[in-house]
Amino acid sequence: MVAWVPADFYRAVDGGLQCTLCPFRCRLRDGDTGACKVRRREGDRVLTATWGTTVEHWSSVERKPFYHFRPGLPLLTLAPPGCSFRCDYCVNHRVSQYGRDPDSRVSAPDADVEKLVAAAAERGGGLALSYSEPSLAAELTLELGARARPLGIPLVWKSNGFLTPEAVERVAPVLDAVNIDVKAADEDAHRRLTGAPLAPVLETLRLLTAAGVWVEVSTPLIPGTSAEDRQLGRIAEFVASLGPDTPWHLLRFTPTYRMRDQRPTSPERLADAARIGRAAGLRYVYVERALGAEGRATRCPGCGVEVVARGVWGQTESLLRDGSCPGCGEPIAGIWTVDERTGA
Amino acid sequence: MSTEYRFVEDLPDLIEASEYDDHPEGRLVRLRISWDEKGVEVLGDAFRPDMLEALLEKMGPDAVEQMLCG
Ligand code: SF4
Repeated sequence: MVAWVPADFYRAVDGGLQCTLCPFRCRLRDGDTGACKVRRREGDRVLTATWGTTVEHWSSVERKPFYHFRPGLPLLTLAPPGCSFRCDYCVNHRVSQYGRDPDSRVSAPDADVEKLVAAAAERGGGLALSYSEPSLAAELTLELGARARPLGIPLVWKSNGFLTPEAVERVAPVLDAVNIDVKAADEDAHRRLTGAPLAPVLETLRLLTAAGVWVEVSTPLIPGTSAEDRQLGRIAEFVASLGPDTPWHLLRFTPTYRMRDQRPTSPERLADAARIGRAAGLRYVYVERALGAEGRATRCPGCGVEVVARGVWGQTESLLRDGSCPGCGEPIAGIWTVDERTGA
Repeated sequence: MSTEYRFVEDLPDLIEASEYDDHPEGRLVRLRISWDEKGVEVLGDAFRPDMLEALLEKMGPDAVEQMLCG
């Protein structure tokens, strides 16, 4: 069901091979599987289960979500199995918790890179790795990027940002945009929720921003961690430190998996969180559904006019002119389209 | 035998965001049942996916189709 192929991102160290892809930096003895469950040592090499994809789905760029990157762009989305985190609230646990949770029984046929790039080119779309953890599929990402970039086909990730700096350095040149989750403001809360430290996630965000990759940040309002005002305030301050133009998406918590006894986030709490984001100096704070069309709209930070309107399913209407507000001329940060009027 | 889950690109919504405030505990489950010569199709939407999955699994389907998030 899932094929294991030779991996990259490891080095020989005393007593074994060390994976250098994520900050766990697992030392693997022969036969060991890493904490992610999708990398393992076999003899003198490391194998990965992430060359295959569990789905090939088309969806709009807004659904990832990206609100300031090529509005309306269709994305051929892949989801190799596995995740370096084990979040208690994961809605996609059947794909992400492959190898860790017996309920995850996905199959992941090998990705045909040439065919995928051709399909994206034919539809005038881009490629995305999402739903599970794309950074664990760094080899596939590099190969997709090598083929897609010369054709001008964008490649994006929806990721947890849990990579080593050296892995970030290798993948950044092939990535056009990333949306990374920041799920807590302090180490203890983050470890409790995800099983992993927070600092490397923040470092990845800094490095990708510095590398010129378009960055948006998402924060799900998780009861007991990121849903608290104090945590939200500190996360918002961090996002603002990347730049006040960094879009911040606030996601409604869904009670599921190991957190099924909690309540879903109320619209009022999402509105509070959006206020916290704006108070931290963020210009673009979004809520996908709970606050209606206003929660998805981009307003000019200069004059307040609505410059991009979005529907729930990615229908987008952009009034931008050359990336600027049609009313006052204020530039709106983002990677916008050639035809600013239709957002096509 | 446990139910097979298939991941699909799209499924219609049966719950609107404007209804969120009416169900703060998230107990709403909405179903749309249709049938033709090929069989019965049950479309569901819920604030608590596990509740909906348990309900659908009890109906003994060939498979449950599900959308992924993100
Ligand atoms: S990617 Fe997997 S094997 Fe590599 S360091 Fe991280 S958890 Fe360990």
